[in-house]
Amino acid sequence: MTFIIPVGPQHPALLEPEHFRFEVKGEEIVDVGIRLGYMHRGIERGLSERTYHQGLYLAERICGICSHSHNLCFAQTVERLAEVEVPDRAEYIRAIVAELERIHSHLLWAGVAAHEIGFITLFMLFWRDREHVQDLLELTTGNRCYYSMCALGGVRRDIRPEHLLKLKRGLKVLEKATKHYVDVATSDRTILARCENVGVLTKRDARDLCAVGPTARASGVDRDMRRDDPYASYPEIPFEVAVQPEGDVLARVVVRLREVLEAINIIREALKKMPTGPIRTKFKPEIPPNQATVRIEAPRGELLHFGISNGTNKPERWRARTPTYANFAALKPMFVGGSIAEIPIVLASIDPCMCCTDRVTLVEVATGKSRVLTMEELRRIPK
Amino acid sequence: MTEPLSFLLAYFVFPGLLFTGTMSLLFVGIDRKVAAHMQNRIGPPIWQEFFDVGKLLGKEDITPAPAQSAVFTLAPLLSFGAIVAVMLLLPVNSAEPALVLVADLIVIIYLLNIPAISLMLGGYSSASPFGALGASRYVLQLFGYEFAFIIAALSVAIRVGSLNLTDFVNYQALHGWFLLDWRLLPALIASVIAIQGKLLRVPFDIPEAEVEIVHGPLTEYSGPKLALMRIAYDIEILAVAGFMTALFLGGPTPFDIAGVHIPGVVSFLIKCLAIVLLTTTIRCVTARLRIDQAVKFFWTFAATLAIMSFVLVLVI
Repeated sequence: MTFIIPVGPQHPALLEPEHFRFEVKGEEIVDVGIRLGYMHRGIERGLSERTYHQGLYLAERICGICSHSHNLCFAQTVERLAEVEVPDRAEYIRAIVAELERIHSHLLWAGVAAHEIGFITLFMLFWRDREHVQDLLELTTGNRCYYSMCALGGVRRDIRPEHLLKLKRGLKVLEKATKHYVDVATSDRTILARCENVGVLTKRDARDLCAVGPTARASGVDRDMRRDDPYASYPEIPFEVAVQPEGDVLARVVVRLREVLEAINIIREALKKMPTGPIRTKFKPEIPPNQATVRIEAPRGELLHFGISNGTNKPERWRARTPTYANFAALKPMFVGGSIAEIPIVLASIDPCMCCTDRVTLVEVATGKSRVLTMEELRRIPK
Repeated sequence: MTEPLSFLLAYFVFPGLLFTGTMSLLFVGIDRKVAAHMQNRIGPPIWQEFFDVGKLLGKEDITPAPAQSAVFTLAPLLSFGAIVAVMLLLPVNSAEPALVLVADLIVIIYLLNIPAISLMLGGYSSASPFGALGASRYVLQLFGYEFAFIIAALSVAIRVGSLNLTDFVNYQALHGWFLLDWRLLPALIASVIAIQGKLLRVPFDIPEAEVEIVHGPLTEYSGPKLALMRIAYDIEILAVAGFMTALFLGGPTPFDIAGVHIPGVVSFLIKCLAIVLLTTTIRCVTARLRIDQAVKFFWTFAATLAIMSFVLVLVI
């Protein structure tokens, strides 16, 4: 006999509301259903009602953790629509902040993952060390969260020479800590018991279900937008893409920690190679009719922004596809056949960001037809 | 006339409700503070547990409609009553427990399981999938750790040749602590593992793993009932530590420092604290296991150690 275990919309394993229906037989999971939409905020529509300059800040608020990625992706899409070139120094600063954000996001994730397997000490230690990178982000951008670093046609703030020493010192601390954590994660018996051969996603499944980012790379799919579709200053910086063939939760931990180490190297290299010069070019807010798509590698995977301009200072239509949305399909093969105890860690292993993901489509259950709401109708729903 | 009075005094003041309640809440406070420092946090003040329980006692008692049954209501009381009774049977101040010649080792092991069983009953009767799942996990876990625990305790009993805790304490006063007896060392390790499971501490906090099944059997409890469950759990920590003290650490032994007489209860509390801190350390350096891994671990590693001691004690 099977019965249903509801996980969410309110559940301690989920940091954000989302509903999962697990059909279980004893402790074994037989099937899983996902229901999205609890956090829908209508941001895509909001973007097409704002000017590009305002949209820059709204796009950033799609996600609180990879805010720079959305910021950067939006700015690059707008620049491609307007066919504007960004100064070299700005490209380097964008890459540096993107890598700092990757470190912050991965360490935060590692802490959450440790919490999901009940390892509270490790959770606290990860978050203690995350403070170092938060300090560096505050130093370079002025903010700990929502950095607002990109401006249309460049960046908002320069990395000054007096920041360099502090940056280097902070990176050294982070490197030492991360190397230690790689050791811990690959040798601690209880961590191995909970992560090894758990939530396995085969290479074939990862490719068929279009998994992205660390989730795909941990299954042996060698795909990284920084190398495959280069942007910012990545073409000029040599770096290694972390790929693990195993496909289990442990591989996802190792891939992310290796990416942290690689990010530290990228930042060091970028600081060394960074040219002097202006950080911003002039940007005219009216953009002639055009279409553009930009893909970047956010900490969670491939992030895609697509925009259509119509000659005014507002876009006609904007579309953002976030990495978590792409990874949700890959959750099913990870869950089925596992046990209830694995739900939190497997769910966390794709590093889900629910509010990035939420989409709403209204479907009439009787007819199966979907329809589009006007802004006024949408506003009336919560009341 | 004096006997009922002394019984009431024992039940309500020392070593019953007042003493046990205060000390166990304080112990849990110390445990939380030490764990926080191990995790590089500041942590709550050591009397935080008093605030928590006090707050819960003052809260509204909400029972979900499908859970309204006598079992759901009585489970906390049963758990609380049984675990306070254990304290009366343990040697706390001297080798003699508060209730002499009433019960032996078997009764204590039995009573120590009542909180677990009432938690399961509460979980099953709470009409919540999380409660039912937590309870079923608890049943599995109980059958895992209890075997190792009982065999370890029996090894000590065979070594002493008695089932009475008073004899345990007197024997150790003459021949030294069982902690230092190599034949009982495997039993000691086995019982440390078993009490980690008994007290639902990481890596064996599986029945109430909050990220998986919210709060397990306690999910639907609130207000005073939850407070009672919480106090019973806190007292269980002290009772199990006290039981371990009597088994391996020589029980309460009065001693003199510079001519000042220190009563046995002080050494009892110090030894209990040492055991509680040991479990705190273990819970800070491990991750939670899965239920199948935990049961396998109890039945292979812990049970083997306990049986090893059992055989050693019988043969040599």
